[in-house]
Amino acid sequence: MSEVDMAVIKPEMMKSYIWLQTADGSIQQVEQEVAMFCPMICHEVIQKGMGSSKNYAISLPQRVNPAMLSLILDYCRFHQVPGRSNKERKSFDEKFIRMDTKRLCELTSAADSLQLKPLVDLTSRALARIIEGKTPEEIREIFHLPDDLTEEEKLEPLKNTTDDPRIRLLNRLYAKKRKELKEREKLKNVEAEEERVDDRSVDDLLSFINGDNGDSKGIKTSKSKKKNRRRKDQQKSTSANEANKNHSEESNGLNSVCHSSEVDQKIQPSIGATSNLQDVEDDIFANKNEFDDGDIDDEIDPALKEKIDREVEDFARRLNSDWPERMQEILSLGQERKAVHFPLNGNGSIRSRDDFKVRILP
Amino acid sequence: MDDVSCPDLISDLPQSIIESILTRLPIRDAVRTSILSSKWRYKWATITQLVFDEKCVDLSNDRREFEDSLVKFITRALFLHQGPIHKFQLTTTYFQCCPDIDQWLLFLSRNDIKELVLELGEGEWFRVPSCLFNCRKLTRLELFRCELDPPPSFTGFLCLKSLNLHQVLVSPEAIESLISSCPLLESLALSYFDSLALTIRAPNLKYLCLEGEFKDICLENTPLLVAMSVAMYMTDDIAEHFEQSSGCNFNRFLGGVPRLERLIGHIYFTKYLSVGDDPGRLPITYNYLKVVELYQVSFEDMKEILVVLRLITNTPNLKELQISGSSNTLAAIDAPDLDFWDEKCPTDCTLKQLKVVKMTDMSGVPHEMEFIKFLLANSPALETMSISPCVYIMDGRINMLIELLRFRRASAQAEILFIQD
Repeated sequence: MSEVDMAVIKPEMMKSYIWLQTADGSIQQVEQEVAMFCPMICHEVIQKGMGSSKNYAISLPQRVNPAMLSLILDYCRFHQVPGRSNKERKSFDEKFIRMDTKRLCELTSAADSLQLKPLVDLTSRALARIIEGKTPEEIREIFHLPDDLTEEEKLEPLKNTTDDPRIRLLNRLYAKKRKELKEREKLKNVEAEEERVDDRSVDDLLSFINGDNGDSKGIKTSKSKKKNRRRKDQQKSTSANEANKNHSEESNGLNSVCHSSEVDQKIQPSIGATSNLQDVEDDIFANKNEFDDGDIDDEIDPALKEKIDREVEDFARRLNSDWPERMQEILSLGQERKAVHFPLNGNGSIRSRDDFKVRILP
Repeated sequence: MDDVSCPDLISDLPQSIIESILTRLPIRDAVRTSILSSKWRYKWATITQLVFDEKCVDLSNDRREFEDSLVKFITRALFLHQGPIHKFQLTTTYFQCCPDIDQWLLFLSRNDIKELVLELGEGEWFRVPSCLFNCRKLTRLELFRCELDPPPSFTGFLCLKSLNLHQVLVSPEAIESLISSCPLLESLALSYFDSLALTIRAPNLKYLCLEGEFKDICLENTPLLVAMSVAMYMTDDIAEHFEQSSGCNFNRFLGGVPRLERLIGHIYFTKYLSVGDDPGRLPITYNYLKVVELYQVSFEDMKEILVVLRLITNTPNLKELQISGSSNTLAAIDAPDLDFWDEKCPTDCTLKQLKVVKMTDMSGVPHEMEFIKFLLANSPALETMSISPCVYIMDGRINMLIELLRFRRASAQAEILFIQD
């Protein structure tokens, strides 16, 4: 007995209807209490006043095709009746959900777009039951999934290779050391640059002075200075890649000297005896000798001077004692690692990488 | 394999549905979906509910190996997971405390954990780390066989709605302050505590479940309590304590729960309530109480009978009553105070709504029969009264039936069902 017949027989029981339009354009009318069971339709009716007539039919989302709509309405029709027991509802659900997988997926999608959560839960549960316990091939077969992972990706174990805590710790420590090194280098490069800048500015001054005065001696000296500088630069560049650190360390000690913009003669004897140092030293003292006008103040106060002394001595000692060993190591490490190893203890002896590991691992 | 005629059915469903499906799978199957296809590779990694149990890994005879593989599985799953984790559940019987659990909890505390269920095995109990108390968004906490020690700076779980502590080692002050510092607490379950004396202050509490040896319980501030289930075990210490206590347990327990709808009491519950001085007139009426179930009521103890009567007579809307007896028939035959029923029994209490009564484990002792008589006489709406005799009573059944036949019934529709096993 259709609704229309019912309406004729018992006019006082005439129900009100909601008009719904699916994506394909077809319009149908549905009993109000059934349709209102869907939150989305309910919202449309109450908030926007739609659905009361054919012209104002509620347009359903695209995922709801007529077949799905009819299924959903069956579900709503059963469940919106308040008097049913839980047992009845459950057994209805079990029977309702028996359909092929394709329709089940479509139904899930449609129910979701209508915000009908109980039905979404029901269908999700059914889909989960289908997936549970099956092999990947079976699942792909059922849902027509493309088998588009490479063999490597499939075999890639779901573990992360760095999840061994010791390796992670080691990596962290290495990363930290590398960062520190980089920063120091940057600093030294800056300082080294500044040192060069200083040289140049003195040169310029000299040539300016020479140019003005026409002092041949000055020119000569400046030339020789330039030569020296070039030599020094060359040496710098050759050893830069391999022994940046060493060179920087030297410069560091000297830089404080340079920055003071003059040279204290007293420092000279305490500076170490490597060839590089000698060169720089020569340049500076040459300048000093040239200038020698007493305008240059000795800005190094005694305390700072002592500190500088000590630093330089220290560096010299280290360099001299470890130089051959260190050269060896550094050369063997290659470009990437620019003198990686800090001495791990204060007295300047270098430990090998294996040694380092031994200290970390239990 | 991806023809136009056989389009992918499922991969393009909205993530909320995929999550809904994946959370209904055992975690192992959910993780396995990562090798189905390229779209599925990381679909599982954003699910917000992780439920681990012993089925996650293959069973193994070597317990050590089994635990190790379970630990590895969980650690890897957490490591590969992306996004918030709202629910984490671990249920095992073998697994005991181990340092990895601390790390997992730390990870979870940084990932907005809302529901945490930790059910560990027997043996050395897991000591919960302090990072648990930093889980600000926790709404549900269940701990089995753990040790809990809130730090002094802990100010409570402000979102906690459900708390279930089962065999948890924690000091009574800590529990009390934990309960009272969770303002939204609605459901509380405490089981297997030893000799706990507790005052419960939880203004939003609706459901209470207590099981264990409780020395003293006072529901000081629980005005919204709706359902309560209590099972009280008794040891000799507690029995002694009872004998010496003077406060009225009935009032302290049931004096502040006007909205109670369902009351279930097991084992020594009625005995517990009977302890203390005579409370006199009850301050409140249980207008909403509809279902009362009291088990192991000893009908040879007059005080317990009084408790039951007091409760019933203050429950005008009682619908369902279930009582099981536990009488020592030999002692109860003498039955002093039998004249109580004729003389002092309250006569003005009509249980107008009482429909179903179930009496189980009846031994047929005089007080039990008088009680049944009382019920029949005062419930005009009664539909069913079912009586099941205690299994040990064989001879007394005929006598019981004979007595039952005589009782007047206020309700014409009342059916008396005598249920033999």
